[in-house]
Amino acid sequence: MKTLEVALQIFRYKPHESAHYDTFTVEVAETAHVIDAIDAVWAVHDRSLTFRRACHHSSCGSCALLINKVEKLPCITRVTKVWDGRTPVRLDPLRNFPIVSDLVVDVTAFFQRMSAANMEITRDAEPSLPLTVEDFAIAGVPPKAVQIPDNLSRFNRFENCIECGICMSACPTMAADEKFLGPAGLAAIYRARQKTAEPRTVAHLLGLADGEHGVWRCHSAFECTEACPQAVDPAGKIMALRRELTARRFKQFWKR
Amino acid sequence: MTALKYPKVQRAGRWFDVRRRRLGMWAYAVNRITGIGLVVYLYLHLAVLSLLSRGPETWDSFVSMARSPFYLSLDVILLAGILIHGLNGLRIALTGFDVGVRQQKMLFGVLMLGAAILLAVAALKIFGG
Amino acid sequence: MLRPQIIIVGAGSTGAATAHDLALRGIDVTVIERGEVASGTTGRNHCLLHSGGRYCVTDQESAIECIEENLTLRKIMPDLLELNDGLFVALNEADLAFKERFLEGCAACHIAARDIPVKHALAMEPFLNPAVLAAVQIPDGVFEPFRFCLAFLATARLNGAIVRRYTEVTDFRCSGKSVTGVKIRDRVTGRSETLDADLVVNAAGPWAGEIAAKAGVTVPEVPTAGVMVTVDCRLNNMVLNRLNKPSDGDIVVPQRATSVIGTTSWTVENPDLIAIPPEHVERMITQGELLLPTVRKIPMRAKMAVARPLIARSGADAREVSRTFECFDHASAGVNGFVTIAGGKTTTARAMAERVSDIVCQKLGLTAACRTRDVPLTSYRLFYQ
Repeated sequence: MKTLEVALQIFRYKPHESAHYDTFTVEVAETAHVIDAIDAVWAVHDRSLTFRRACHHSSCGSCALLINKVEKLPCITRVTKVWDGRTPVRLDPLRNFPIVSDLVVDVTAFFQRMSAANMEITRDAEPSLPLTVEDFAIAGVPPKAVQIPDNLSRFNRFENCIECGICMSACPTMAADEKFLGPAGLAAIYRARQKTAEPRTVAHLLGLADGEHGVWRCHSAFECTEACPQAVDPAGKIMALRRELTARRFKQFWKR
Repeated sequence: MTALKYPKVQRAGRWFDVRRRRLGMWAYAVNRITGIGLVVYLYLHLAVLSLLSRGPETWDSFVSMARSPFYLSLDVILLAGILIHGLNGLRIALTGFDVGVRQQKMLFGVLMLGAAILLAVAALKIFGG
Repeated sequence: MLRPQIIIVGAGSTGAATAHDLALRGIDVTVIERGEVASGTTGRNHCLLHSGGRYCVTDQESAIECIEENLTLRKIMPDLLELNDGLFVALNEADLAFKERFLEGCAACHIAARDIPVKHALAMEPFLNPAVLAAVQIPDGVFEPFRFCLAFLATARLNGAIVRRYTEVTDFRCSGKSVTGVKIRDRVTGRSETLDADLVVNAAGPWAGEIAAKAGVTVPEVPTAGVMVTVDCRLNNMVLNRLNKPSDGDIVVPQRATSVIGTTSWTVENPDLIAIPPEHVERMITQGELLLPTVRKIPMRAKMAVARPLIARSGADAREVSRTFECFDHASAGVNGFVTIAGGKTTTARAMAERVSDIVCQKLGLTAACRTRDVPLTSYRLFYQ
């Protein structure tokens, strides 16, 4: 198995110490992902390193952090993509979140926002396969329709959004307004609104979107959509909410 | 629902940090900078206009200064700011209501190209006399 | 008498379900986890909500556990599951010959199995190998292991449980040979402290042996790693299984917008650091291709490996080891106050928790009954609030 030596410069912080960076060198497989390298640092060099991870395949969303100052999921980022052979790979915790320890951030406020939207994490599956995150067409693999089994009313699947917080880290408004619902929160509101026609729920969701820290705080930087590893397109959803809110206002105005 | 807790991680100056950011973020930062520049210019402009109240000599001496190449260059820079801010503002107005969101990067390119052309034409006219 | 304090080591599926069960019984629980929730075996599992079909011929005890728990989880966490059933498909004569035993096994284990025409199978799963010879539909499902654990722990926390992440168990405090407390080191603050415990439940998965050793006992556990490969698009909605005895790479599980092929099997010395053998990765693609020929055209999104907490049975090859679980009361070795729950799979986590929680209550002289079959879990998001 071909291996390589990679140097990682990792942000360290404990509540009783000041923040600093530690550099470690580990040997990993050439095909390893960054999460494997972080794991190796912990296993071989420093058991006091704290970091979040669970699924290692971009479904849990827990491992999100900054790799060379750009938001990424280390579980699907190859070491060879970010390691040039010389400059240590820089690992920092997500921006706009309070830091608990090293690479671990406090996601309490984030999950409060996601709870406010209360989006179900399952949705109807698409009527055809394959389904890709990026919505790209795979060469030589045209889409094919699927038939639902007799005993089921539908196929379902987990939503694209894995609640990783990458969009919240990339968003400049999150940096400036700590109460902003954020791209993830607003995208979740949009998805939740798509799934329901119940008037009170719709009013609640649109009220959140229309509120002081809702869609109108977005400044169209589009970093959220660029950074999202799951093609959620939060910016597009924020704009779609704006369109609906504006259309409703127009209708209300003309009714008078 | 329990009261939302807000973490104290405000970084008001974070919008400035465009390193490793993509086109949309650069456009946003450029719009903010040109916006600030235009506001500053507005005050300067009003201050200059107030010279009118000081009589023809003060005004004439200012205008002759304002015809120098240095000042004309400042005018071109001002026009650049107006065109960038205005045309990008058009893009923000459109995308902000869900028009052309998927094409926001191309829209930026096209509009800035338009700004560059208009600026070139205007600069020629300004310096051409 | 003071309320009994239970410490659970490990916040994987077993620890999380046990915390929920004990908290529902009104017992004070503290969960000690050295990483993030589900950062051990549970996080990197295949996410398969077993119907039990996989075990209905070779390991009927496991199969029956699986189908019962499958149905229970559908009741208590309905919003956290992809419920598209699964198919066992025959690709050659040997598979075809297995079908009868498979259908008999399903019937014996009360797993609703339907022998469906190949045409229907291909209509439901258009990327399935068109050379498929037979297909049986069973109630497989898909869960997301991180949120699975978060849901149990969130509910437990609502009922008073405490969860301490980034906290390692360094040692046990003993009185004679019996465990009376747990020495921990908090990796965030750096501080060490000792927590009182009337009983410690060792739910540390493949690290259960390591934890047990600190209390001076052994657990017959063989950490057995497996590799899974995730490809960059979802090629199937139903879980696809090979219609034969369990073997490497014979399952493809869909999840979100990906398909996950698994798995392999080899024993590891050190579950803390597992190198992923490239030949296992390649084998997943070649095996996956048998079920979904298109798989090789799809870029690889991720690969993962982690150790399963298999209980050793002398002379058995890893594939034949029962996937059932077992509870070890170390009082039999003279160490009171310490119980290990090992083996099993995430699908049966609730049942494992019920068994160990019953033992805990019995040892503490409590009569609270298990309620986890019927109490729906709260929103997983509340874990972090």
